[in-house]
Amino acid sequence: MSLEGFEVAVVGAGPAGSAAALTLAREGVQVLLVERGTFPGSKNVFGGRIYSYALKRLLGDQWKDAPVERFIRKEGITFMTVDSSFSIEYEAKDPKGSFTAVRAKFDKWLAEQAEKVGASLITDSRVDDLIIEGGRVKGIIAGQDKIPTDAVIACDGTTTSLARKAGLASILEPEEVSMGMKDVIELPADKIEERFGLEPEEGAAHVFVGECSGGLRGGGFLYTNKDSLALGMVVGADDASTKAIPSHTVMDRLRNHRKVKRFIRDGKTIEYDAHMIPEAGPKMLTRPYTGGMLVAGDAAGHLLNNGYTFRGVDMAIVSGVAAAQTILEARKRKDYSAQSLKAYERKLKEEPALKDMFVFSKVPRYLRNHRLYSVYPELICNAAEAIYRVDGNGKRKIYKELRAQTKGKVSTISLIRDLLAGARTF
Amino acid sequence: MSGKQEEMSLDKRLALVSFSKDPEPFIEVDTKLCQKCEKKPCLYICPAQVYSWQDQLNYNTEGCMETGACLIVCHKIGAKAISWKYPSGGKGVSFKLG
Repeated sequence: MSLEGFEVAVVGAGPAGSAAALTLAREGVQVLLVERGTFPGSKNVFGGRIYSYALKRLLGDQWKDAPVERFIRKEGITFMTVDSSFSIEYEAKDPKGSFTAVRAKFDKWLAEQAEKVGASLITDSRVDDLIIEGGRVKGIIAGQDKIPTDAVIACDGTTTSLARKAGLASILEPEEVSMGMKDVIELPADKIEERFGLEPEEGAAHVFVGECSGGLRGGGFLYTNKDSLALGMVVGADDASTKAIPSHTVMDRLRNHRKVKRFIRDGKTIEYDAHMIPEAGPKMLTRPYTGGMLVAGDAAGHLLNNGYTFRGVDMAIVSGVAAAQTILEARKRKDYSAQSLKAYERKLKEEPALKDMFVFSKVPRYLRNHRLYSVYPELICNAAEAIYRVDGNGKRKIYKELRAQTKGKVSTISLIRDLLAGARTF
Repeated sequence: MSGKQEEMSLDKRLALVSFSKDPEPFIEVDTKLCQKCEKKPCLYICPAQVYSWQDQLNYNTEGCMETGACLIVCHKIGAKAISWKYPSGGKGVSFKLG
């Protein structure tokens, strides 16, 4: 393939990159999509769920061809101590709102959709540097290849070397990132359906909070694929490092908890994956644009963990599209200066899906409260134990029981403060 | 068989993942600096245990999952000893079920 004559280079064929390339190619822009893996998705790991709306917006009815594992019917959360657990489950009216997927299939498929409308994909290619002239990004350098373009969209993930090279980011702080790890556990489809109480093609998503993270900031997750389970943990990078707890050992806590054991019983682990997750939000970059370049997806912090929904792929798609639209407008003006591309920032703020990041902007700080991972899950479980246990030694009313449980665990002031802050934050 | 989940070591789990070795080094550590590193955060953050300690820092990039977390903790908590970039195009880890 000749590497000349491309107007835009998109770096990284994940959801942000492929959505950007697709949006540009559809409008007749000559776009090069560059992927360092042997195929799109081969370097990518996530928990397991994609919210459908973003894909519908991007592809219309064609989104139905996406490689869906299962549509999520059930949402669950479990608070756990070493030997007890308290679970809540919600059964959604319509499961089509989100689905589980495998990135090696999904990202590959999405990149193919971009190729279908004219984007050129090259794989096995690491972008090492940017061509910068007169303070403006003018293309990319991949190995021996210097590829001049009018603009670059960097969708190169959490470690985003391109944003750093363009002076938009420095190395992230440890408290701004989490380590995500997961096992993929093979289990026959009928067993999954029986075990989780699902109809065929329907799936479940489950979150675990408490003992499993071993006191570290973080939690566990479980998603049902077609004939496998994705079981994982996410822990704060600063926490694991400074408390000297090897990150992968918290996976053992999760795997060995009674509640989880029953879910994964007789399953066969077929892959172990890990990936770093940015938690700082859009402020991980000084700004998401510079002359000749925009940043989208994880690389721009466009994802959201608000404590009960974990969103990456949908936001990546939406931000990739916003970046592409900014480029399309700049192209009309034939002006790719920083001033011209500044419109991207406004687009991001106005985009309803991405606005959620600002609505929940105080969440990361709230989630740093360690009581959420130790004291409160334990309190919930112990209260349930006291409420449900009948041993003939006399029972207290629920309110009194709850009050008794907090004694010595958390002060009334802290408890009220956490509740009020929680109400404001979520 | 029922009720039993196989016990599996980290090494066995890592053996489930495909890697293509990059002949070029993509992680380099100035291990002299590690001698004075108090917290040694790389030992704990890496989910693939690329780093280990036996009188000195040892590292084996063959199981590296390219999370990039070691760079962050080394530079912000540790001794700024790690230089890190992604492996060359097409090399390194390849996830099939990520």
